[in-house]
Amino acid sequence: MTTAVVEPASETSSILSRNRLMDALLRSLTRAAAIIVLVMLGGVIISLVDGALPAIKTFGFSFITTESWNPVTEKFGAAAPIYGTLVTAFIAMLIGVPISIGIAIFITELCPRWLKRPISTAIELLAGIPSIIYGIWGLFILAPLLQAYVQPALIATFENVPMLNNLFAGPPYGIGILTAALILSIMVLPFITSITRDVFETVPPMLKESAYGLGCTTWEVVRHIVLPYSKTGIIGGIMLGLGRALGETMAVTFVIGNAHRIHSSLLAPGTTISASIANEFTEADGVMYTSSLIALGLILFVITFIVLACARLLLARMKKSEGRHS
Amino acid sequence: MQTRPNVELTKTVLTEPTAEALREKVSVRNLNFYYGDYKALKGISLPLYDRKVTAFIGPSGCGKSTLLRILNRMYDLYPGQRAEGEVLLDGKNIIDPKMDLNLLRAQIGMVFQKPTPFPMSIYDNIAFGIRLYEKVPKSEMNDRVEDALKRTALWDEVKDKLHASGLGLSGGQQQRLCIARSIAVRPQVLLLDEPTSALDPISTAKIEELIYQLKVDYTIAIVTHNMQQAARAADFSAFMYLGELVEFGTTDQVFTKPRESRTEDYITGRFG
Amino acid sequence: MTTLTNPESQKRYARRRRGHKVAMVLSNVATLLGLIALVWILATLLIKGFGGLSLAVFTQSTPPPGNDGGLLNAIYGSVVQTVIATLIGTPIGVLAGTYMAEYGRNTKLATVVRFINDVLLSAPSIVVGLFVYEIMVQPMGHFSAWAGCVALAILVLPVVVRTTEDMLLLVPDSLREAASALGAPRWMVIQKVCYRAARAGLVTGMLLAVARISGETAPLLFTSLNNQFWSTNMNASMANLPVVIFQFATAPYEDWQRLAWVGALLITLAVLTLNIVARTLSAPQSNAR
Repeated sequence: MTTAVVEPASETSSILSRNRLMDALLRSLTRAAAIIVLVMLGGVIISLVDGALPAIKTFGFSFITTESWNPVTEKFGAAAPIYGTLVTAFIAMLIGVPISIGIAIFITELCPRWLKRPISTAIELLAGIPSIIYGIWGLFILAPLLQAYVQPALIATFENVPMLNNLFAGPPYGIGILTAALILSIMVLPFITSITRDVFETVPPMLKESAYGLGCTTWEVVRHIVLPYSKTGIIGGIMLGLGRALGETMAVTFVIGNAHRIHSSLLAPGTTISASIANEFTEADGVMYTSSLIALGLILFVITFIVLACARLLLARMKKSEGRHS
Repeated sequence: MQTRPNVELTKTVLTEPTAEALREKVSVRNLNFYYGDYKALKGISLPLYDRKVTAFIGPSGCGKSTLLRILNRMYDLYPGQRAEGEVLLDGKNIIDPKMDLNLLRAQIGMVFQKPTPFPMSIYDNIAFGIRLYEKVPKSEMNDRVEDALKRTALWDEVKDKLHASGLGLSGGQQQRLCIARSIAVRPQVLLLDEPTSALDPISTAKIEELIYQLKVDYTIAIVTHNMQQAARAADFSAFMYLGELVEFGTTDQVFTKPRESRTEDYITGRFG
Repeated sequence: MTTLTNPESQKRYARRRRGHKVAMVLSNVATLLGLIALVWILATLLIKGFGGLSLAVFTQSTPPPGNDGGLLNAIYGSVVQTVIATLIGTPIGVLAGTYMAEYGRNTKLATVVRFINDVLLSAPSIVVGLFVYEIMVQPMGHFSAWAGCVALAILVLPVVVRTTEDMLLLVPDSLREAASALGAPRWMVIQKVCYRAARAGLVTGMLLAVARISGETAPLLFTSLNNQFWSTNMNASMANLPVVIFQFATAPYEDWQRLAWVGALLITLAVLTLNIVARTLSAPQSNAR
């Protein structure tokens, strides 16, 4: 027996060396694949910076603060798309977050057990619908509806309210910042809902029972126990949704109106970074025009990177503290 | 509260329960309980006497926790679980579907296997329950919080960090905080579901000491795995097995002169 | 003890119950809103899409305005580009995920890659389009179907990496140890035990990735662009459903818009089917956990 190990038969030895070879091969192959992921991100950053360089050199920091976007005189400023991106995403969150949390509460606390899965699946299907579908639906169904009913009502209601009358000033175009934000709010629903639902489910049942044991209503248990307990996770989910809303392209491109200016009214057409790129990139002639659009892409990438990094860190921290609790 | 009641005295009361007038605070009558189709409790009848400690003992899965969770209708949180029969609290049937659960649970406090401090400060953990039903001025609230913490012998340990998170306390302190939180609402009955199973022996001793003191004011039901704990802390004991109540009596009687051989086997460690 | 019966706390309790009722109604309304959005969008698609459905859709290429035609070239382009992108992205993704769950578990590299992968996973797809434009379209001097495939492959990659890692981590270590204890080398343990145990999950990940890219438009806008005509040349621009939908829907011709709705219906049906298949595939596994 021992001799067999010390001096393996030639057949065994060839198997052993083959195994060693295969192991080394698979290890380096998988490692290389992992590194490709890193290289990919590095490549994206380098190529964007490289492409944006002419615009950055020419316009400098004023690129971010200038509103004018003029392909004829080749004067480009990103203020309008940045404004549009931030405002549409912000309003989308304003509408989408409460609804998402409401749905998550319904699924985890209120809904009868047999309805849990169907409703979760239905909400998650919203995430499966391609963004171009949201765009075409927004353009042909939602926008005309808003133009005919909702926007005139908004304009009339806030006509004499200072501040708000600027936000909801006419005419009702149908398409514009508010319409884009509405569509985005539907699109972020499934993301925020599913993360919120997941973190709600990490709340220990015993903790909820002790609150019920004191005589709390369901709402009080949610408000005082479940929400504080899952705060970090929910914020992570919201940031993830925000990242989606900031980067969304097609749905917004359909309904934003593609106007490079900052208008105080939410009913006015505007543009976002991604919509500008989608609409203009293939038609952009001249180095400066193309480079300015790539610079827009770089800005978008940086904004979403920051938001997503925060989201991931929060969610990771939440996972860690969850491990500590149990 | 004041000082610890005289243990000698408690013992004499224990051995002669009939010497004192006993009043049924809670009466369980012919209670059946189902998890879906599975019948977990079969025709349970027993009393919880006013200001006495009653222990539910028995092997895992015998239904003792289930019984405890019926007393404040905790099972209502979970669809598919239902009870039939009667559980009378001062003569009122709490199994009645028309019973207001929030009011019921405010009258019957509960403490769980593991400490469950809420994600808020020590002070707010206790004030939270009080605020549910009462509007108390700040100074009175301070008094109520202090009183609850003193009764659970926690005051000296936490008085300097009342506004720190309750999660920062040790396991034993957290459990006493949970008891303080329950009694601050001024319930009439306290349900303790294996309250020391996650604690070390010293913390366990403190909790048991606390139970002695609390029964001056409260009717207490405790589920425990620990025979010694039942013997030390309870005036009455109910031995349950496979969803049935095998034996109920004073703790002394159940532990020293069990009527049923199954009880004796379990207590002496022959099974379970 | 009697605090619960005094009028003050009765009043307080009544107010709490009202708060509770309001919150519960709002939660119901929120759920209803979400469901209405889903039903509304799907119903619109079905009504508008089925109206324009005909055999010509699958047998003819995209028409000039005012003429009859179909979506054949776009369907072909979408299928080809999706398949090639999946073939490029999946192997790399599975390998990278394997590294993170097996060889490189708990290493610094794996931690960094996991984070970067999460960033890629939710990076705006239009940025990926710009990247591929920079590295392929511009140097080559023309739009091409290959560029479109690469852009889509970059979107496939992070989805597959993520699910591969997650699924492999679900395989219990005791299984790995049992196989190693028999003397099986690592590569064989991974191949014969881990991959097999995680198979359903890996397929799910791939299907989800396919679902994601088959609806993608933004990264194709300036990589494979669009092509009015039937083309199988991978070095030239190629039609694909999403971009055709975009172009036709925003054009002022009614027959183009009708075709856009048909395309929208087809693509949504395909994507949702993939999603549902992926979900049912992974369902028994999540139950077993």
